[in-house]
Amino acid sequence: MHTEFVLNTREIKVEAPSTETLLTTLRERLQLTGTKEACVEGECGACTVLVNGRPVDSCIYATAAVDGLAVTTVEGLGGLDGSITPLQQSFVDHFAIQCGFCTPGLLLTLSALLDANPNPDRKEIENAISGNLCRCTGYTQIVEAVEAVSQEERS
Amino acid sequence: MTEVGQSSIRSDGVVKTTGRALFGTDVILPGMLHARLLRSPVPAGRIVALDLSKVAEFPGVRGVLTAVDIPDRRSGLVLMDAPLFASQFVRFEGEPIAAVVAETRAVAKQALALAVLEIEEMPSVGNIEDAIAQNAPLVHPDWESFATPPGLEWPRAGNVVAETCSDPEGVDEAFAGAAAIIEDRFEAGRQYQAYMEPRMAVAEFDGQRFTIHVAHQFPYNVRDRVAAAIDVSPSDVRVIGHHIGGGFGAKLDTGLEPYAALLARHSGRPVRLVNDRSEDLLTCQCRENAVIKIRTAVSQSGELLARDVDVLMDSGASATDIPFLTSIPMHVFGSLYRIGPVRIRTRAVYTNTAPTGAFRGVSGTHLYFALERHMDHIANRLNIDRLEYRRSNLQHDGSKLPTGQVLEDAGILSEAFDAVERLAPWTELGQGPNRGVGIAACMWLTNPMPGSATLKLNSDGTLGVLTAATENGSGAIATGVRQIAAEEFGLPADKVVVTMPDTDAAAFDAGSQGSRTTHIVGRAIREAAIEVRAQILDTAANMLEAAPEDLELVNEMVRVFGSPSKQISLAEVAATAQAESGPISGTGSYTTPMPPINPTCASGLLFPAFPTPTYHVHVAEVEIDPTTGVVRVLRYLVAQEVGKAINPEAVRGQIQGGVVQGLGYALWETLQIDAGQYSQRTLEAYGLPLATDTPEVEIVLLEHPDPAGPYGAKGVAEPPIIPVAAAIGNAVEHAIGKSVNAIPITAECVLEALNGS
Repeated sequence: MHTEFVLNTREIKVEAPSTETLLTTLRERLQLTGTKEACVEGECGACTVLVNGRPVDSCIYATAAVDGLAVTTVEGLGGLDGSITPLQQSFVDHFAIQCGFCTPGLLLTLSALLDANPNPDRKEIENAISGNLCRCTGYTQIVEAVEAVSQEERS
Repeated sequence: MTEVGQSSIRSDGVVKTTGRALFGTDVILPGMLHARLLRSPVPAGRIVALDLSKVAEFPGVRGVLTAVDIPDRRSGLVLMDAPLFASQFVRFEGEPIAAVVAETRAVAKQALALAVLEIEEMPSVGNIEDAIAQNAPLVHPDWESFATPPGLEWPRAGNVVAETCSDPEGVDEAFAGAAAIIEDRFEAGRQYQAYMEPRMAVAEFDGQRFTIHVAHQFPYNVRDRVAAAIDVSPSDVRVIGHHIGGGFGAKLDTGLEPYAALLARHSGRPVRLVNDRSEDLLTCQCRENAVIKIRTAVSQSGELLARDVDVLMDSGASATDIPFLTSIPMHVFGSLYRIGPVRIRTRAVYTNTAPTGAFRGVSGTHLYFALERHMDHIANRLNIDRLEYRRSNLQHDGSKLPTGQVLEDAGILSEAFDAVERLAPWTELGQGPNRGVGIAACMWLTNPMPGSATLKLNSDGTLGVLTAATENGSGAIATGVRQIAAEEFGLPADKVVVTMPDTDAAAFDAGSQGSRTTHIVGRAIREAAIEVRAQILDTAANMLEAAPEDLELVNEMVRVFGSPSKQISLAEVAATAQAESGPISGTGSYTTPMPPINPTCASGLLFPAFPTPTYHVHVAEVEIDPTTGVVRVLRYLVAQEVGKAINPEAVRGQIQGGVVQGLGYALWETLQIDAGQYSQRTLEAYGLPLATDTPEVEIVLLEHPDPAGPYGAKGVAEPPIIPVAAAIGNAVEHAIGKSVNAIPITAECVLEALNGS
């Protein structure tokens, strides 16, 4: 099946079976391994990518369904020059990362949150990431990393 | 100090935010094939038919292996009881029976669906009590034939895979003379480590040697265990470590590596084998479920006269490291509070379930649950405030464990109780309807096993650290070890580069377990630094025309004390040495000496002592919804002794994360075993903590520097999970006035307790 979409600002054409998931296309066909495969049941959020700015679990999302749409993965968050976004930097600065396997998915979920709501409160941040499992951190430093970015924008 | 004690950012922080960090499951090699295992669908049975001819003929399949294709041998961490493939009998659901390797994952899966497998089911030993019942079927009828490593023997018989007993004099007499005897029975379920990256292996074979790419906590163990399982020499196996998507103990033993290695040799191509989530959950070496019976004799005044403990642990279908864990009760049940003689009998039993194993704070979570829940019951029986009762019985400096180990600094316990009281007064917590407060303490070890580090000063003035230790997410390598190395040479942490593990390159390291990495590898770095520093000073002394003893290392420079203008950069020193006397480098090793114990204190396989102990107190305040039974954690306080916090924010992350794993264990995470099979088979059903469930932990760090630790550091990462279930259980019981003696304490359990059924 022929699918065309914009992947991190680049136009992509793939020929994939109609049942192929976006996660498989990204990781195996395009060898973009920043998007993580952790549960393949739509539970953990490690494979989260943005489709037209909206977070989806790419492990249960058909590649065919992104035809004509824009997909953003973790590789597309920062600049081509290697620069990273304030949210990515805040994750580093606030110890929001331990093993880091859930980090790409969290960053995409939270980028979408901050686009829609630049100043979320703690509850809104926790609700936004309630579909992203993190086994290491116990979440607090992740929430603080987001708060620091939104406070920066406020000040 | 410029680095130690600072919250320096992680060296792997940026690559983990850009998707460029290469995890084990991201390894892609040219010509790589994909493998999948055929696993037993039932917990116990006899293989009546196995025909893989259709699998082997399927287009795209490059090989099939079963038990008949490999030497008939069993292996294991301490008992050689686990075959790679089941042959005649299957002993747990998920046990590998065959392996297929194919051009793609999809082909491997489609092909395996064509396997003809017929199993005649047999009665299974589904739980601990079944295992020790009279006339119980034997999980391994041939248990007597299993080999142990040279010099290691311990009592085992039938379904009992290990037994440890300590029976000091005076227990029965004390019970006979007691004013009161308090008796409890506790149960704890299994806990799945639920790391985000499933277990994996990618193996290559070049005709002579194997290279195995892993995301593993203990690469040297992979090397040795793979070599033993497939019958080659350990040096024929090279293990290369990549970023690890969480482990928590489940990535200490081998898993998929031997299969990937065999398939790589069989097919002549690199082979990738990764669990899907369901098979990962079903076959993971989870924290063992346990049943603990405990009786304590007390005097009229509340003195703890004696104790009698019986612990049963579920080892699953093989021993893994569980025989060693049967000695952990020896370190727990006489700790914290002054007590007379303690009798302890611990048995680990085989069942027809997935083998259990190491999980952060091995066994300590359920043992302290029992000890500290029991202390509440004793205080309640004596009608003494639960905190007051603990405080009046606390161990002090120089007290002895039942093993004979002397706890030189047990007085820190009292300080930890003071510290949580300052955070929030005990009498003000848990007030009001449906609210409760619980308190629990623990003493825990810093794992003493050996490690090493080689330092090299590069000609650009940066420092390279070569070690086989692993960064499992805790920050021990990405921050702690790096900061210690930086501190030694007056460097900023970002001028220190620590290698990823490679067993061909670095000397042995015992892996990320038992909070050991910062303590052990940090100390090894300090040992190596003595030699490296001497080389730096000798070279610089010549260049500066000064005596070596008049030099200091500050801000990437070597300078003369008292005359800061006379200085030279470390880069120049390194370049000069390299050209004139050879590159600057040095190696250090360390392992903690075991504290003395009484070797006759018990029979069985002993993990002899708890070296570099630390002391901790946790307080939980909860609120119960009486209509749903849901437990909400309002406040959670921790006083943790760390020796010296090398990186305070990283330490905070370990405590927050450890406590939340403990909350999951105490309240939500459920693996019910029904006739040998888990009822929960997906992450969704399992019930991990979410961001919306978790409180922000309030933390006080206590620092009593360890003279043997690097800059005083002791182990940090394990203790935060250990007393959580106890503190939560105590708080829930306080709130509802009913005993909840089994974990997890799910909403249904609370409702049941409330309704008195």
